[in-house]
Amino acid sequence: MRETFTKKFWLLMIALLTTVVLAACSGGDDDSSEGGESDEGESTSGDEGAEITAWAWDPNFNIGALELALEHYDNEDFNMEIIENAQDDIVQKLNTGLSSGTMQGMPNIVLIEDQRAQSFLQSYPDAFYPIGDYFNPDDFAEYKLAPTSLDGKQYGLPFDTGVTGLFYRTDYLEEAGYTHEDLVDITWTKYIEIAKDVKEKTGHAMLSLDPNDLGILRVMMQTTGTWYTDEEGTIQIEGNEPLKMALENYKALMDSGVVKLNSDWSQYLEAFNSGDVATVPAGNWIAASIEAEESQSGLWKVAPTPRLDMEGAANASNQGGSSWYVLNIDGKEAAAEFLGGTFGSNVDFYQDLVTEIGAIGTYKPASEGDAYQFENEFFNNQQVVYEFSQWMEEIPQVDYGMNTYGIEDILSAEIQQYLDGKSIEDVLADTQTQAENQFK
Amino acid sequence: MKKFKRVFIYLFLSTAAIVSIFPFLWMLVSMTNKSVDVTAGRLIPGTHLIENFRNLLEQTQIGLAIWNSLVIAVITTFLTLLIGSLAGYGFEIYRSKMKDVVFNILILSMMIPFAAIMIPLYRLFGQISNDAPLIGLDTLAAAFLPTIITAFFIFFFRQNTKMFARELVEAGRIDGLSELGIFFRIYLPTMKTTYAAAAIIAFMNSWNNYLWPLVVLQSPEKQTIPLLISNLGAGYTPDYGVIMLAIVIATLPTAIVFFLMQRHFVAGMMGSVKG
Repeated sequence: MRETFTKKFWLLMIALLTTVVLAACSGGDDDSSEGGESDEGESTSGDEGAEITAWAWDPNFNIGALELALEHYDNEDFNMEIIENAQDDIVQKLNTGLSSGTMQGMPNIVLIEDQRAQSFLQSYPDAFYPIGDYFNPDDFAEYKLAPTSLDGKQYGLPFDTGVTGLFYRTDYLEEAGYTHEDLVDITWTKYIEIAKDVKEKTGHAMLSLDPNDLGILRVMMQTTGTWYTDEEGTIQIEGNEPLKMALENYKALMDSGVVKLNSDWSQYLEAFNSGDVATVPAGNWIAASIEAEESQSGLWKVAPTPRLDMEGAANASNQGGSSWYVLNIDGKEAAAEFLGGTFGSNVDFYQDLVTEIGAIGTYKPASEGDAYQFENEFFNNQQVVYEFSQWMEEIPQVDYGMNTYGIEDILSAEIQQYLDGKSIEDVLADTQTQAENQFK
Repeated sequence: MKKFKRVFIYLFLSTAAIVSIFPFLWMLVSMTNKSVDVTAGRLIPGTHLIENFRNLLEQTQIGLAIWNSLVIAVITTFLTLLIGSLAGYGFEIYRSKMKDVVFNILILSMMIPFAAIMIPLYRLFGQISNDAPLIGLDTLAAAFLPTIITAFFIFFFRQNTKMFARELVEAGRIDGLSELGIFFRIYLPTMKTTYAAAAIIAFMNSWNNYLWPLVVLQSPEKQTIPLLISNLGAGYTPDYGVIMLAIVIATLPTAIVFFLMQRHFVAGMMGSVKG
């Protein structure tokens, strides 16, 4: 007995020692790596004509946009290889590559979702190349600038907008006695009233929601320019009036029986493709999925997003959207010039982007182009793209901070309790405490 | 009473069977349907198999991905078995004071999750990329090298070697065989079932390996099957019919390997438990 005990003890000691040695090694490596990186940067900066690689997701949307940009780019020395990766995969690869400290295998250009951008920029300060000199940030929608910059330096070139709208079925709303004007510039409280009316008169649910996806809360909250965190990154859940009001609206929606629940993306699409729900409050990118059901052509229109019933709230919000970043490695100048020459300044390119890819950029001058004036038959000849580009400029700016998704994981568990009757003050206070413990 | 018990058992087993088989059935049916039908939950085989197949070939380089996965899996399996069995054999047959301590440390290494060593490993491969580009980042070799030496297989072979008659080693020595000769001419042929079981596990692990190849392989030509499937599902409007077809194709090789060696697999696993 005693013998086995001593044996185990020694084993444990060896294991501990190994851990300590390993930890010490990795600590030492960090220092040396910084030196190595800067060497690489100096020796090869300004290397034009080198092969540029870009990582992005979705062949029909982001990658399509990159390919289009390449067609519009007038530089014969410029070669770019576009590599398709799922968004989660890009996050994983970037995190591994950047935290290992070697910039080996990293791309020149990478697409990052706006809500994740700050965590990359802040965690890996030297890994990204500031590209503010290659385009004019003031040409872009204001709300895009905070998430894509850090310490006054512009790192990201804003790409697509997630400007939201209230897509609705004209036939259902008419049946319930509502016109387009009744839906313009309304509050969420008014929206819920209309929802109940629609449900009563037509039998259709007003919208479809996934209880695990709090996107709708973010959309509501951003109409007032607030977020889970403030500009300094301090978590502000408790005493966050807009969030409180958004939660109350959310509960009111759930309780009034106007929501058709879904559990995943395909069911969400199914809800409006099959004609079950009367409205879809979502980012403009959902238009493509709505238009996929051709038999419903002419039955849809878009109104501005409802706002929270507070002073200073705008009838404009955002859901999703990403931007291009350049990594601080060989070829960074060429990559930045390419982005600046296409996404950063080319109005014609943005016209093709709308017609061919269906992507609305955040470059403000583009909205005067012809393609933006297109009257979409599917949406009752509404100038959908133009209207979205106008709403886009009104989106209140928020700082997404580093932990949007982390906080939301905590919040979504609390929300279930809120729906079951827990008081709103307790829900907010508990979320605040948990979030502070986890992210400080 | 006995009859009642029997009915209950059958009921339970049938439910369990349906629950585990249904996803496969759904996968097989879905690969013949349009994406819209898949999301609508259609359970009847459709007529879109050929169209899905054409789309799959058009959108992806699935042939290349299968080839990459196959190259990696075959080499991994071969090297894992060779190294694992040599080490397991050595641990069991040769006498040494420290061998149990070393072995225990080895077993301890199984407790470290791969995610914890991934970043140092990436760094390592990043640094050798300049000096040895053949095994650096973005090569198939980099995708399998870290996986060929695993404590699990050394443990597995050591346990099974306990059943191997030590007298055979003595006999071999007396007849003048070299130590390696004993291993390759006596041990290897008698332990066939163990090798078969290990081969299946190693092949499946490698075939389904996702995280490390994802991180280390960058160019599209090096993509393996799990990465390709992940990409297919990543768009804003995924085509579920095509995805299901790709998954079926990805499942086939492991199924074939398993059925070919099933008999040995069971025997081999039994052996490791008995030992």
